[in-house]
Amino acid sequence: MKPQEPIPHNYSIRSLNWIFALSSLALLLVTGIMVGYDYIRGWKWFQREFMRMQRERIEGEIKAADTAENKKQLAALDEKTKQSEVEIARNRQQYLLAQKDLDTWEGKHYAADQDYRFAKANLDAQRYVAELSVVQHREDAAAQQAEYRRQDRHVNDLLLRLQDVTRRRDGSKARVDQWLKSVKDAEDRKKELNASVDLYKKQLELVNNQRGSTNWILNLPMLDFVNPTLKIDQVVLSDLFVDVNYMHVPRVDRCQTCHRSIDTPGFESKKEAARLSQDIQQKLDAFQIPVEKRADAEGEIARLKRIEDAPYDTLNPWRTHPRLDTFVGSSSPHPLLEFGCTSCHRGQDRATEFGRAGHVPPNPKMQRRWSGVSMLTLGFFPLERDFEKRRWGWQQNPFLETPMHPRQYYEAGCLKCHSGQVVVDKGDRITKAMATVELYGCYACHKINNWRFTNLRKPGPDLNGIAEKTTPEWATRWIAEPHKFRSTTRMPSFFYQRNMIDPHVVPAAEIAQNIKFQDAEVHAIVSYLFAKSTHRVWQAPPAAGDAARGQKIVQSVGCLACHIESETIKDEKSGKVRLARRDDYPIERNYGFNFTGIGSKTHPGWIYNWVKNPKAYYADAPMPSLRLTDQEAADVTAYLVTQQKPQFMQMPVRPADPKAVHALAKGYLINTLTDRDAEARLRSMPMQEQLVYLGQRSIEKYGCYSCHNIKGFEGLKPIGTELTIEGSKSLHLFDFGFAHEYVAEQDGKHEHIQHSVPSWIYNKVRNPRIYDDERTKPYNDKLKMPNFHLSQDEAQLITTVVLGLTKDLVAQNRLAAQDSHSRLMEEGRKRVSQHNCRGCHVVDGTGRAIKATIADENFLPPDLSPEGARAQSPFLFNFLKDPTVMKIRPWLSVRMPTFHFDDKEANTLVTYFAEEGRAAQWDTAHGLTPPAQNVAIGRQVFAMLRCAQCHQTAPVNPENPPVPNVAETTSLAPNLTLSRLRLRHEWIADWIRRPNEMIPGTRMPANFPRDAATGGFQSPLALAIDMPQFASYKSALLPLFKNDEKELKRTMSDAVALTDYLRDYIWSIGITQMRAASPGGEVPAVTVTPSIPAAPAPAKTGQAASSSQLAASVEKR
Amino acid sequence: MTMKKFLSILLATTFAMALACGKGKEISKAEDEGEDDQEAQTTTTAAEGGTAATAPAAAAAPAVADAATLTGLVKFESAPPKMPAIRMNADPYCQSQHPTPATDEEVIVGAAGELANVIVFIKNAPAGPAPTTPAVLDQRGCQYHPHVQAVQAGQPLQIKNSDATLHNVHAMPVVNSAFNEGQPVPMTTTKKFDKPEMTPFKIKCDVHGWMKSYMVVLPHPYHGVSGMNGTFNIGNLPPGSYTIVAWHEKYGQQEQNITVAPKEAKTVNFTFKG
Repeated sequence: MKPQEPIPHNYSIRSLNWIFALSSLALLLVTGIMVGYDYIRGWKWFQREFMRMQRERIEGEIKAADTAENKKQLAALDEKTKQSEVEIARNRQQYLLAQKDLDTWEGKHYAADQDYRFAKANLDAQRYVAELSVVQHREDAAAQQAEYRRQDRHVNDLLLRLQDVTRRRDGSKARVDQWLKSVKDAEDRKKELNASVDLYKKQLELVNNQRGSTNWILNLPMLDFVNPTLKIDQVVLSDLFVDVNYMHVPRVDRCQTCHRSIDTPGFESKKEAARLSQDIQQKLDAFQIPVEKRADAEGEIARLKRIEDAPYDTLNPWRTHPRLDTFVGSSSPHPLLEFGCTSCHRGQDRATEFGRAGHVPPNPKMQRRWSGVSMLTLGFFPLERDFEKRRWGWQQNPFLETPMHPRQYYEAGCLKCHSGQVVVDKGDRITKAMATVELYGCYACHKINNWRFTNLRKPGPDLNGIAEKTTPEWATRWIAEPHKFRSTTRMPSFFYQRNMIDPHVVPAAEIAQNIKFQDAEVHAIVSYLFAKSTHRVWQAPPAAGDAARGQKIVQSVGCLACHIESETIKDEKSGKVRLARRDDYPIERNYGFNFTGIGSKTHPGWIYNWVKNPKAYYADAPMPSLRLTDQEAADVTAYLVTQQKPQFMQMPVRPADPKAVHALAKGYLINTLTDRDAEARLRSMPMQEQLVYLGQRSIEKYGCYSCHNIKGFEGLKPIGTELTIEGSKSLHLFDFGFAHEYVAEQDGKHEHIQHSVPSWIYNKVRNPRIYDDERTKPYNDKLKMPNFHLSQDEAQLITTVVLGLTKDLVAQNRLAAQDSHSRLMEEGRKRVSQHNCRGCHVVDGTGRAIKATIADENFLPPDLSPEGARAQSPFLFNFLKDPTVMKIRPWLSVRMPTFHFDDKEANTLVTYFAEEGRAAQWDTAHGLTPPAQNVAIGRQVFAMLRCAQCHQTAPVNPENPPVPNVAETTSLAPNLTLSRLRLRHEWIADWIRRPNEMIPGTRMPANFPRDAATGGFQSPLALAIDMPQFASYKSALLPLFKNDEKELKRTMSDAVALTDYLRDYIWSIGITQMRAASPGGEVPAVTVTPSIPAAPAPAKTGQAASSSQLAASVEKR
Repeated sequence: MTMKKFLSILLATTFAMALACGKGKEISKAEDEGEDDQEAQTTTTAAEGGTAATAPAAAAAPAVADAATLTGLVKFESAPPKMPAIRMNADPYCQSQHPTPATDEEVIVGAAGELANVIVFIKNAPAGPAPTTPAVLDQRGCQYHPHVQAVQAGQPLQIKNSDATLHNVHAMPVVNSAFNEGQPVPMTTTKKFDKPEMTPFKIKCDVHGWMKSYMVVLPHPYHGVSGMNGTFNIGNLPPGSYTIVAWHEKYGQQEQNITVAPKEAKTVNFTFKG
């Protein structure tokens, strides 16, 4: 055959073959790379690591379960089985006989059972035939009926026989079982002992990823498309949305893909484990865990202990979420399946790569570590096996609108749902953050449109009477540099700040001009304020005061709950004395001003009248009245006047430069006038008038009116940027200027500005003019936010709140504390915070800042933790309005002040307490009369327990009870005749039973201590009643128990009954009448009237008081 | 290179990578924190006429072969402050127990300047098993006996009321759980402090403001209290180097470093100043 002609081609087959071969190779290579890359994706590494950790832990658990004790028991059981088997073998003959007997009876039982069933079926058929024959009037009806009865008897006989056979069969079976029983029991027990180990072994199989295991094969590259165990894990949250440009899509949180054990306990850090076990232990100690659950709790402690003792500590991302009982846990208020992760933490919900998920480094050091890139890899997938050496190739994503909150601001996420609360349960940090914002009055300049930060008082004092209080010389220095006068003041520094005078960031030529302008503005503001001020005259104290006595009064009546007395403090770390900072003291003690220098600021007349009646100076004054007598007020005045700060008044003050005043004033005027008109207007104004004009414009410029009431600025909008949705603002809207780092002047710490929103806000509040560095701006355009001299912590707290103010959508049902009970509570809490009740009292578990200033804890103001359950609402209402209606502990020097609450406010507080104690607001126990017999028994119990050792029982005038005449007032307790007016009926017995649980550390002893094992109350009288010392009580009590000694003894050991009797006795001796609150809340001893009423003074409170009340109050003091 | 070969190399590379990723390492941080978290055991019994056994407060330490003994004298250098008489008029019973008024027990200095009621204990001795002999705190004549003492963690503490009046025992430890229980009749309550508490804490009676007692809870039995003659005695101490602490309720704490040789009878003296 002729060889085939080669087909002519226009291309070379040979080279084409090469091309195909190479391109298919390239395709294969690319496919290989794809598969390989998919195999080493970051999240898979995390999952593999996690499986390894699980394996380690399960092996640990098996080891723990497989204890020596367990092994010993198993060995013993094996031995027992063996013995039983030997026993059976030895008596084989008997065993076999028994077995045979059982077989026989089984057969007989079967036969009898069958007979009975067939007969019963026949009987049913016969019944039908018999009935039919009767209905059809057949002849054989009678015969059929007889046949039916016969069969019925037969069935009965068969049943009896069956029962007999069954009984004998069971007997035989029992005999056989007897032989086998010991073997079977041992087997069962063995299964039980091995159960936990078997379970662990099954679990171990699930997480076994070792080479050659099923899981390993399933996860091999290319094979893993079938059914891999390494999978992306996600939670779909259909009612928590992400806003993607005009559309809302459900959140799909894939965080769990790497954070594997976030919702399962067992992977806590050591620190967290220690904290948790301490928590549980405390609950155990306090009997808060029911008896049947105590064993579980102890097991949990043992588990946590193993974590604490483990040689390794679990790192992120594998850690269990802290506080699973509050977050993420399925029984917590924020279960993972309902809330996911990004609804609190924010971040990119669907991302599975570390760098893309929106993680934000908390500090530059962490940022450096995260952004490291491994040379070997493409940057975003790390190959390193060692966790510490892995590089994450993290990059900031400036287009991500919701990056995560960095670590120090985690709590910002709470605000989204919790901004309707003053106190967030278990959220100490966010509660403190909101309180800090309230303390500094951020809400006054920056509108924050949510419940927590609206309807609050202006943070600064009213300035419309400033001329009555101080001098222009003082005011000039104060406005210029408030921190030079008081290191702890909350008045921020507006002038001579970084962007005006710092030679490092402001051109030298500009500084001199800036200083002149600033001087002019300071003088102008002072001129305006004094020009507009009223000029009432506050008369000097009528009597000479004694400064030493005054100091004692200040330190004892309660002033120091809100005020600080000294500007210096001994540093705890270095032991050196230094200037105090606000956060050296609890927030409550920063509520009022620091007494330092008050004598240099104002004059005795003003102080005297202010401490007597703060509301006379301005009606909204937050300071309550402590009902000081004239002499006391004079003493306090004498003391406060000694608090001088001469060096402040000697600070040189530059006079206002007329040119600067002119230039600045003109700058404002030419906004509306032509240059020539402006010049003409200024020429027509004398210097003073120019200053007042400039002052007005400067107050407007700096927004002084936002915090202070100033005449001429009523109703103006606050000066600052609205912060209601500040946390949602995009990064590109923040002006970072040229600033990178600075040294904070308040504590010398280096601060770095990261290019992120949290960092911008933090540095803005810490150093408000920082973003003006190196900028070229006209004078009036420079940043104006004043410097609050915040510490790092305070700045972080405030940043937390600002970051939390977002526009994120939250479904109504997710908002916290929206039910009516919570709303009533929160309204009350807002008042508690506003009136600084925590300065003296413990409310919601915190407070009593005054404790630091009262040496003897026996003389502290009361702990109000149980107040809702304790106090009758009508009493509380009356007492809050006018504390003089009842003196509960007349020996205390600290006083409950008169706050001049109106009915609405007092009601809000009363309702709050009642709701908190979950008590009825208007309880009806007031008129209750306990049975005489109960009272009689109660009286004896009262005597036996010697309650009268501390509690007086003689009736007294509630307004002015005498102080019992004893040397040691520390042991005094409230007079019990006041209880009926004051205490809730149901509360009294409860309190006697468990005082320590209601108020930890109370002086009231537990007379019925709990049994450590059961938690039940024990009665010391159970044994004491038979003691010779108690014979008289016994004989008095016996008739009350109808001489039934057994019943008497039973009652004496019944703590609950005894406390009820005590309660009835206490109720029976109570007085039932007390005065109603006087209309003004108090009765001032001497009316204070300004002598020259230049302006109408605010209405006096309490002027309506009758003269008899007046006399009574004088006498009382 | 054939296709097969190439594929096998590729697979081999992938496997190698897989193996590389398979094994990581957890970072371990040695952190040891262990505490025996047992419940404080409470039992209440009424003493039959106050005849409960009065055992020595310090229980016998386990015998050590080479044990050393520590003795010493606590002196007070300044002029002894005059202690005021206690006014017990709040409770007639208490007053009746003291025909001549009792004086405050805060500072008791002997004729030659010996300071009593100083707790002396070893700070860093090894922990030992808790003794079963109870320590006793007796309330007699409205005063605590002894005024200060050291007990061992886990050792039962019998709190006795020998007075025919109400006392309440208000113990204020920080590490252990605090308690405050009333004893309206002569009775004994047994308590236990489970954790060592090296900073002495106060035990007070809220009914009688003058009644104060101090207690330290140690993990070992090496402690003593200076008597009226200012001397203390710590026996059975295994040889070694220790820090020895002397604590007085008013004059604070002093420390000395000592080394004891086997079977040594060592003397350690302390001097307090007002």
